[in-house]
Amino acid sequence: MCSLCGFPAAPGHWTEAGAATAHDRLRERFRRGAMLSNLLRPVGISVHDGGLVPGILVMGPGGASAIVPNLEVLWIEVDRILGRPFDPLET
Amino acid sequence: MSEGRLRLTIVGGFLGSGKTTWLRHQLFAGGFPAAHVIVNEAAGTPVDHGLLEGTNDQTVLAGGCACCDGSQTFQDALLEICDARSQMTDPTQRVGQLVLETSGLADPAAIVDLIQSHPVLIRHIVVHETIVVVDALYGQTALETEPVAQAQIRAADRLILTKIDLAGPTETGRLRRMLHMLAPGAAQSGSSFGSPVDLPTMAAKAVVLPKLAADSAAITTCQLDLGPDPDWTALTLWLSALLHAYGDQIVRVKGVICSPAGRLLVQAVRNRVPSPEVLPETETAAPEDNRLVLIGSGLSSNAIERSYQLVRDTG
Repeated sequence: MCSLCGFPAAPGHWTEAGAATAHDRLRERFRRGAMLSNLLRPVGISVHDGGLVPGILVMGPGGASAIVPNLEVLWIEVDRILGRPFDPLET
Repeated sequence: MSEGRLRLTIVGGFLGSGKTTWLRHQLFAGGFPAAHVIVNEAAGTPVDHGLLEGTNDQTVLAGGCACCDGSQTFQDALLEICDARSQMTDPTQRVGQLVLETSGLADPAAIVDLIQSHPVLIRHIVVHETIVVVDALYGQTALETEPVAQAQIRAADRLILTKIDLAGPTETGRLRRMLHMLAPGAAQSGSSFGSPVDLPTMAAKAVVLPKLAADSAAITTCQLDLGPDPDWTALTLWLSALLHAYGDQIVRVKGVICSPAGRLLVQAVRNRVPSPEVLPETETAAPEDNRLVLIGSGLSSNAIERSYQLVRDTG
């Protein structure tokens, strides 16, 4: 790969590229956790991101829970807990 | 024989196959000296041209594909370039050659036809080579489902296979056989971010190509306007959910998003999202910024817009 043409890529998972500083990153995580909780509450799933340890905690209605590293894995886990695909166009 | 005519190289290939990445490196490495680059995008919001900026002259044609609904605009642009070239008295200032990066939905053969059947353009432009970029990871899926993907291969003089490292040697070998069946005369070579790489051996066994009806599910474009101050958290939350659920329908996503960490190029091919590139800051936001283009089959602009707003409102 040529490292001279093109522009630098943002480090980390693509969904986390929007935060420039550690402070921004933490605030993003809190806000993202709250938004996910609001979005997934109607299907019985709660989400928590305390910001202290890496990962997002996903909890299902029956007590099933998992810690996921990023949003990409989170949606796979949500489908598994629900037993069906979560459809963002039908919420 | 070009006989003083302007040489045109067509760079085609399906949505997300890696046309811009390949061309960007060729331009950087001096592969097309004194070229005037024409970038065509089917969507109304152009993104790719920002990545090809440099020493070359550039024309951006957005909002219509040069082989079909945008062909008039394309012809007009070519005539304008030819006209300017004819009037240039100093030969060292003249455009040396043309490079067209087509939209991912264009049939290069239709573009060649268009030039060769045009009474004026045929006297000014000679089609030098049609290069078609094929994504080793999703190329086979595209060939099995999209008639235009097959047409693109048939039109190629030269095939460039990208993302070989992601696809693996067996899959790439099978794809090579498929490409050879569609375009036996086209030379195949491998490329990683524009630099040449070795190709795995072509599979010996023939593969069956499904016959596709010309009217299989149409690919359409939708655009999501994110406003002057986009909500990065809401956008990524929503987009990651959408790509997870609809990655088989959404073939391509791209857009430049102004975030607190700078102008980020967000793009996806099906549900694969590479790390966003951080683009140079501009003094004022470009009119194309903060609009996300989604290209795929069976997409409803309304449903997409509504679901994004719903996610944004949870914040």
